[in-house]
Amino acid sequence: MNNSITSDANAPVPHHESEFRQKCRAAWMKTKAFFHGNPPAIIGGFLMTVILLGALFAPVLSTHNPDKRVARPHEAPSADHILGSTRNGRDVFSQVLQGARKTLSVALFAGIIATVIAVSVGVTSGYFGGKIDEWMNFATNVFLVFPQLPLLIVLAAFLGQVSSIVIAVLLGVTSWPWGARVIRSQTLAIRSKEFIISAEVMGESKVRIILVEILPNLISIVFGGFLGTVIYAMGAEAALGFLGLGDATEVSWGSMLYWAQVSSSLYTGAWWEMLVPAIALALTGGALALINMSIDQVSNPKLKTGPHLKLWKKLNKEANKRRGLV
Amino acid sequence: MNKPLLEINNLCVDYVSPNGIARAVNNVSLSIKPGETLGIAGESGCGKSTLAFAIARLHRAPGLIPEGEILYNGKDVLKMSDKELRDFRWNDASVVFQSAMNSLNPVITIGEQLTDVILAHKKITVKAATEKAVELLAIVGLPGDRLKSFPHQLSGGMRQRVVIAIALALEPKLIIMDEPTTALDVVVEREILNELYDLKEKFGFSILFISHDLSLMGEIADRIGVMYAGNLIEIGDAKTVFTNPSHPYTKGLISSFPTIHGPKERLYGIPGDPVNLLHLPEGCNFNPRCGDCMDICKKDEPQLIELSVDYKAACYKL
Amino acid sequence: MSFLLRRLSFYFTAFLIAISFNFLLPRMMPGDPVEAMFAAAQGKMDPAQMDAVREMYGFMDGSLFEQYISYIQSVFTLDLGPSVLMFPIDVTTVVGMSLPWTMFLALGSLIVALIIGVSIGTYASYRREGFFGQFVPPFLAFLSNFPYIVTALLLFYFFGLQLELLPLAYTYDPAIDPGFTLEFIGSVLKHAILPMGSMILVGIATWVFNMRNAMINVLGEDYVTMAEAKGLSSYRVMYRYAGRNAILPVATAIAMAIGFSFAGSIMTEVVFNYQGLGNILLKGIMARDYPLIQAILLILVSAVLTANFIADLLYVWLDPRISK
Repeated sequence: MNNSITSDANAPVPHHESEFRQKCRAAWMKTKAFFHGNPPAIIGGFLMTVILLGALFAPVLSTHNPDKRVARPHEAPSADHILGSTRNGRDVFSQVLQGARKTLSVALFAGIIATVIAVSVGVTSGYFGGKIDEWMNFATNVFLVFPQLPLLIVLAAFLGQVSSIVIAVLLGVTSWPWGARVIRSQTLAIRSKEFIISAEVMGESKVRIILVEILPNLISIVFGGFLGTVIYAMGAEAALGFLGLGDATEVSWGSMLYWAQVSSSLYTGAWWEMLVPAIALALTGGALALINMSIDQVSNPKLKTGPHLKLWKKLNKEANKRRGLV
Repeated sequence: MNKPLLEINNLCVDYVSPNGIARAVNNVSLSIKPGETLGIAGESGCGKSTLAFAIARLHRAPGLIPEGEILYNGKDVLKMSDKELRDFRWNDASVVFQSAMNSLNPVITIGEQLTDVILAHKKITVKAATEKAVELLAIVGLPGDRLKSFPHQLSGGMRQRVVIAIALALEPKLIIMDEPTTALDVVVEREILNELYDLKEKFGFSILFISHDLSLMGEIADRIGVMYAGNLIEIGDAKTVFTNPSHPYTKGLISSFPTIHGPKERLYGIPGDPVNLLHLPEGCNFNPRCGDCMDICKKDEPQLIELSVDYKAACYKL
Repeated sequence: MSFLLRRLSFYFTAFLIAISFNFLLPRMMPGDPVEAMFAAAQGKMDPAQMDAVREMYGFMDGSLFEQYISYIQSVFTLDLGPSVLMFPIDVTTVVGMSLPWTMFLALGSLIVALIIGVSIGTYASYRREGFFGQFVPPFLAFLSNFPYIVTALLLFYFFGLQLELLPLAYTYDPAIDPGFTLEFIGSVLKHAILPMGSMILVGIATWVFNMRNAMINVLGEDYVTMAEAKGLSSYRVMYRYAGRNAILPVATAIAMAIGFSFAGSIMTEVVFNYQGLGNILLKGIMARDYPLIQAILLILVSAVLTANFIADLLYVWLDPRISK
């Protein structure tokens, strides 16, 4: 990883510490350096932590059973139902917590599938080059020019109301090309670096070179691509759910939107049924984007903005002032 | 003609990095007389290019100039307003960058890159500017129809000629050259340097010539300055610096180049690595690599002392 | 020139793949979608008409390969048979009526987002250390990554329902006769503000970041420093020397964004009941109108491929080094 950002990790460490503790310490320093002087990362990280905790502890935090009729239709938010109730008398607060689990796991699962494919295709294509690269690049480009979401809509339509697992798999296998493209070009760049050439000359196996020499240098790009896919997959899941192409009996943020639409909740003044899942989706997407933006700065140090630029600004202003410049 | 064209006093340039402030140019003072060629030598990272850029105030964030003045004909470049600065740039001092490939914009025609500087500074018609551009290309030995070309359609030598033509466009009094021929092969380098000297005869500009190639500099410069870790450590007439240097670093630098004309001698490098600007040694910056290091060298930084008229070096041995 | 030819042949191949996919789709599905479709169309079509559709659709007797050839023929002759949903109108006619609206939304919002985003990105790189450069890009990143559907719903609710500022449905006021009149164009624009606005909001961050990052990379190049050293105005340095080059990587990203924009249009149209392909697509899905669904998919693919080719032309025009 980049030196200018992680340099704190190189600070002298007392000898008696075990290797494990040293590693933990280095990881902690890296994390600290990532958030230091970086409000977007702090805000994004905070929001995401709250959302993930909410999803994780949904069964504990829920005030009602999300699948049962527990209120009169379209009850406004009150002490008993913090975020009101749906047309079908479900508790919106409990549903949005439950829905977080479904929606986030679909998005994460799709993200993992897409990332695995993207890394395999991108690294293989970039490292081996030649005919393999040509064909893989062709496949990537074909996938890239197809409008993904309409394709998904049609697929889902042909399959009938599809379960969330199918949606996750479909999203995963259709959304890898963006990542693959970036990873390929980065692999090409790393490939021609001296340490790879020297490893090749020394006769290291190709598998080892890919796993040990190339992959660690791709981490920030791969993770950035992963987050991008998760954001996209979440939006697509919500879209399919909203259109009624998902399984409307499962509680997810997408299916919540669907039921809110079916019950015309916005027109009848029961805004909470629609807006609560919508805002949950919005905050998650926004938070992930903020984190992704900060990861970008790690993989491209030129983008790094931080406390040192503030210092520069101050010193430069002072120097200009001394010279009588405004 | 004793008044210097350019006078730099106590110039410091800092870079603010996430790990601290690095001083790339430290307290450098020097002057260039009209029509003179001053060479600045040193290994990469010694601050010579930073110095060159600072003269045209081209440093950007995170670089800044906390102290010093750069007097051009008595006027401080660092105190100029934006408008004065734009007028000063290229009218008075033009710059030839290290690599012509990188200093010409790849998607703009040679013609536009030549005429826009003329049009920005002179109130003339586009037609007149184009005529002037053809004239300039002719001066550096290129046909006028090259105006329509893009940089990638020219060879490396041709591109460097274009860059020189652009530098001459407003007939400035000073041309700053930052390793202008490093990217070229030796034959083309020779050709271009010869042409440059003919042009200098003709137009009478001064040159600040930045290079790591001391032997090249020995041939073309009137005076040579040597920089190490941001400090100017030796400056004087080219012949003395080249044949009888005073500072141990200059000695090391010269003995690491082969001479073409002299007898075959053993080449000596300089042991050790260039210093990290964020962690400078106490005392003389060169002390960790110096063969003649004394106790005082590890305590106090040596100042430039005048060894003879117009000849200075900074070392406690002297 | 050979660059464009290469791209053209690539798009043609991609189109063939799309057709093949379309051909295989109903044949790979569990059950018999054709039967389901005809079941849905019961009472609308008589058996003779059904047979005609069946044949046009490639479901005739014969090997899979013969069916395939016949299908390709019907695609290239634009003879895709009648729609089940709007029988007896031809699928091509139905698609032809709504395609312009989707193109208008998808490409219109893409172009507006591109122009605004590139300007903001350029300025953000110029004012990197300032408030603008530090605050605006993260803010837009946050806002732009709301899912399409969410942004559309939020705008629909706040500007349409709550503030009652803008119309909530249709492409233009049904009371106005379509024509080249000021009233009609005004109505079309008014109806486009919300759907297009939500798509612009979603699309904009891509361009801000692409442009800003490209600018930051380009600003370190010698030719920009040289332009500055030449004493050119900072406007000229920023736009002509730096911006002109930074736009190149941005132009390559357009190809990718076109697909996204069409997808976004499909979603947005449903929320705003805008009479484009997305709306028809959803209705087609509800009615199991497979010929219509497939025709829409094909037309979307063709539109995206064509738009990609235009983006390639733009790239050739922008970068003189490519056209060798």
